[in-house]
Amino acid sequence: MRQVWLISGPPGCGKTNWILSEIKKHGGSCGYIRLSGFSEKSLEQANSSEIDFVFLKDQIPQLIDLSKSSDHLFSDQDNSLIFIELSQFYLPNQSGLAGIDPRIISQLENLKLLPDQYLHFGRDTELSIKDTLDFTKIESLSLNLQENVWDPPSLNTFWFELVNGAYGDVYRAKALLNIPDGRSMYFNWIVSQPGSQFLQLNDIAPPKGRPQRISQLVIQGRNLEFTRIKSTINLCLINDSVLEMHQASLSNQQLAATH
Amino acid sequence: MIERWALISGLKGDLETYERIQKDLKKIRGDITLFVLGDMVGAERNCNSLIDRLINPHPGDLKPHCIYGWWEDQLLAERGFRGEQKADALRLNKGEGIVKALVNAVDPYYLNWLASLEFGFVELDCGLIHGSSKDIGDKITIDTPPLILLDRLTRLGVNRLFTARSCQQFHLELTDAVVNSYVKDIGGDRKQEQKVPKRGVIGIGAGAYYTLYDVGSDKTHFLNVLDQPKSNIRGFG
Amino acid sequence: MKQAVISCLHANLPAVQAVLNDIDRQGIDTITCLGDLVGYGPHPNEVVDLIKEREIPTCQGCWDEDVVDGLDACDCSYPSQLAERRGHLAHKWTTEKLTNENKDFLASLPTSIRRDKLLFVHGSPNSQHEYLLPDMDAFAALERVEMAGAETLFCGHTHLPYVRELGQGSIRVTLKNTPNKQTEEKEMNLPMRRIINAGSVGEPRHGGSKATYVIFDDKTNKIDIKEVSYDIDRTCKAIIEAGLPPIFAWRLNHGFEFAELAEDASHVCER
Repeated sequence: MRQVWLISGPPGCGKTNWILSEIKKHGGSCGYIRLSGFSEKSLEQANSSEIDFVFLKDQIPQLIDLSKSSDHLFSDQDNSLIFIELSQFYLPNQSGLAGIDPRIISQLENLKLLPDQYLHFGRDTELSIKDTLDFTKIESLSLNLQENVWDPPSLNTFWFELVNGAYGDVYRAKALLNIPDGRSMYFNWIVSQPGSQFLQLNDIAPPKGRPQRISQLVIQGRNLEFTRIKSTINLCLINDSVLEMHQASLSNQQLAATH
Repeated sequence: MIERWALISGLKGDLETYERIQKDLKKIRGDITLFVLGDMVGAERNCNSLIDRLINPHPGDLKPHCIYGWWEDQLLAERGFRGEQKADALRLNKGEGIVKALVNAVDPYYLNWLASLEFGFVELDCGLIHGSSKDIGDKITIDTPPLILLDRLTRLGVNRLFTARSCQQFHLELTDAVVNSYVKDIGGDRKQEQKVPKRGVIGIGAGAYYTLYDVGSDKTHFLNVLDQPKSNIRGFG
Repeated sequence: MKQAVISCLHANLPAVQAVLNDIDRQGIDTITCLGDLVGYGPHPNEVVDLIKEREIPTCQGCWDEDVVDGLDACDCSYPSQLAERRGHLAHKWTTEKLTNENKDFLASLPTSIRRDKLLFVHGSPNSQHEYLLPDMDAFAALERVEMAGAETLFCGHTHLPYVRELGQGSIRVTLKNTPNKQTEEKEMNLPMRRIINAGSVGEPRHGGSKATYVIFDDKTNKIDIKEVSYDIDRTCKAIIEAGLPPIFAWRLNHGFEFAELAEDASHVCER
C-alpha cells in the first residue's frame, strides 16, 4: 500500500539524510518532493533547492521526482513510499497530522499527496535530532551555478572561509558543485556539527563542454555579505580555455590508460 | 636477456660517429635501449642528416630516445622557442659567429621536433638528463662535491643520475650518507637522523665516447668508437 | 653581540613598528632584513620609508623583485586560482601605490648580504622564490648552506620561523669506474651547518597572528625565536580603507596567510 510521509524540520537538522536511510531500508519503489516552506518574520527560507533531490537520486537511482511526475506512477496497490520534505523553522502546534501547517495542506492537496504520517525534527522522537538550533534571525542566499566549474583548490579555500565566518555568520551551507574532471561534489555544513560533509556523486559529466546538470549553492545565516560571496565565487570559477585544458589532459590520461 | 641501456650525447651533427655507435651496439648482447642525452646539434657541421636519422631510424637501427641538451636549448632560444630569451650564454662564451653557425646548421624544418623533446627521462629510479634538473648547463664531474651530487639526485627524486654535460665518463657511488637534523620552532623541537640509500651518478661521455649500463647489476661499461677505421671516401670526393 | 633578523614585512606597518620597538627595547642595534617589504599589506610606502630611515640592511625579496620587474610572482607558487587572482590584485595595487623613489630603492636591494660566515637571503642562495622548509631533505638543506660558502644561513620566504642544525653527517664516495678502470673510495665528514628562518613580521603562517623574528647571539651562538603582538585591528582597518580585498583583513586577523602556500614548496621557479 502507498505510504506518504511528511518530514519537516529547521535547516540542517538532518531531514534529507534521515529520508535517505528510510528509503534504503524500504527497498520498494519510492518518490520524493521537497517543499520550500515559508519565511517567518526575520527567518528567511532558502528558495526551493534541487540539491536534496539530486543528492538522493544519486544514491537511489530509482527514486521518482514527484515535482515532475504525476501520481499515476504510483497506485494504491504499490508498496511505494513517498517522502515530502519540508523546511520549517517552528515547532508544529499539535501532534501528528493535525500539526501540519494549513498553508502546506493546500499545496499537498494540489499535488494529490496527502500524508499518512507527519514527523517533525524536534517534536517527534522517531527523528533523532543532534542539533537544537534556535533560529531567531536568518537570511538566505541561493545561487544557481549551472554550467559553472570550480578550480578545486579555490573551492576548498572558499568553503573554508565561508563556514568559518569570513562572509558573515553562516549557519547552514549546502551545495552541488562541478569540478573540472566531470565530477559533481555535494557539500553540506551546519554550524553545530564539526566538519563538513563532502560526497562525490556518481554522475560524471562527459569531458567536453560545460556540465548541463543541477549545480547550486544555498547559504543560510546572519549578516551575510552577498556581494563579497558572489565576487569570491567568480574568482574561483574556471573559464572555457582552462576547462578545455583540464578536459584535454583528462582525455589524454584516459587514452594512455587504455593502451 | 640482459637489459642494457646505451647512452650517448654530444654528437653535434656527427652522423658518422652515430652510425659507428649503432654498428657497435649491434655486436653487443642484450636487450638494449638507446638514449641520446642531448647535444645532437652543434655549430661545427650541418646537423640535418643526423637529426633526420634520429627521427627516422634505418631498419636495424636501435630506436633512439632523445632529450634536448644545452646546444638544443641555445638553438631553440635563438629561434624564438623560449619566449624572449636568446642564445645569450652561447653568444657570451663563443661569440656571434658561433651562434650564426648553429642557426645555419639546423634546418627550421627540424625545430618543432627539437622543441618537442623532453628535458629528461625518469626510468625505473634513474634520471637521464643532459646537465641536471637545476640547470641544463650544470657540469657534473668526478670532482663535484657529494652534497651537490645528492642535491641533484634529490631534485629528480631518483637514486641514479645519468648526465652528459661535462663530457666525462665516470661512475660514482654515494653510500652510508647520514646527517642529523635538529629543528626548533614555535611548536617545539624535534630531532631526526636522515640516511639515504645507495645512490649513483654516472657521467656518460660525449661524441665517440659512450656508455653501456647493465640495468640489473648497476654496472657501467665505458666504450668508444675511436679506434674504428674511418669510412673510405670513393668516387668524386 | 646580539643581532636581530626580520623578514617578510608585507607592508604591515603596525607589525613592523611593534617588532622594531621590541628590538629597540632589548638594546639591539644590528638588524638585518630579509626582504618582502611590500606585498598584500596596506602600507607599502610607509614600511619602505621606515626601513630606509632606520638604514636597515635589506635583501631583495620575491615580492620586491616582482614589483620592480613588473612581473607577477611565479604563478606556480600559487596553489589555487583564487590565491593567484588575489595575489595579482595585491601586486597591481602595490605597484600603483609605491612611489618611484621607493621602487628604485627596492630595485637597488642586493639578493644577498654576507657577513663573515653568515649569509642573509630571502628565499635561498639559489633563488628568491625557493622555499627552505624546516623538514626539507636534510642533505639538500645542507647543500644550500655549504655551497653558498656560509656556516649559518638566514632566510625568510616561508613565514615559518625555525632554527635547523644539520650536523654529525658523513658520506662514503666511491669511484666505481672510469674509462681507464680507475677506482677509489673515500669517507668524508659533512660539515655542521645551520639554517635560521626569521619567519614573518607582516604575514605570519605559523598558526598564530603575532609577528615573528629572530635574535642571534654570536657570542653564545644562541638563537631566539620571538613573537610580538601588535595592533592587528589597525592593519585590518587600513586594509579595508585602502580598498584591498577585505578577505585579507579576515585572514590576517585569524592567523592565516593572505594567500596559501603551494603544496610543493620545494618547487624552484625556473623563470
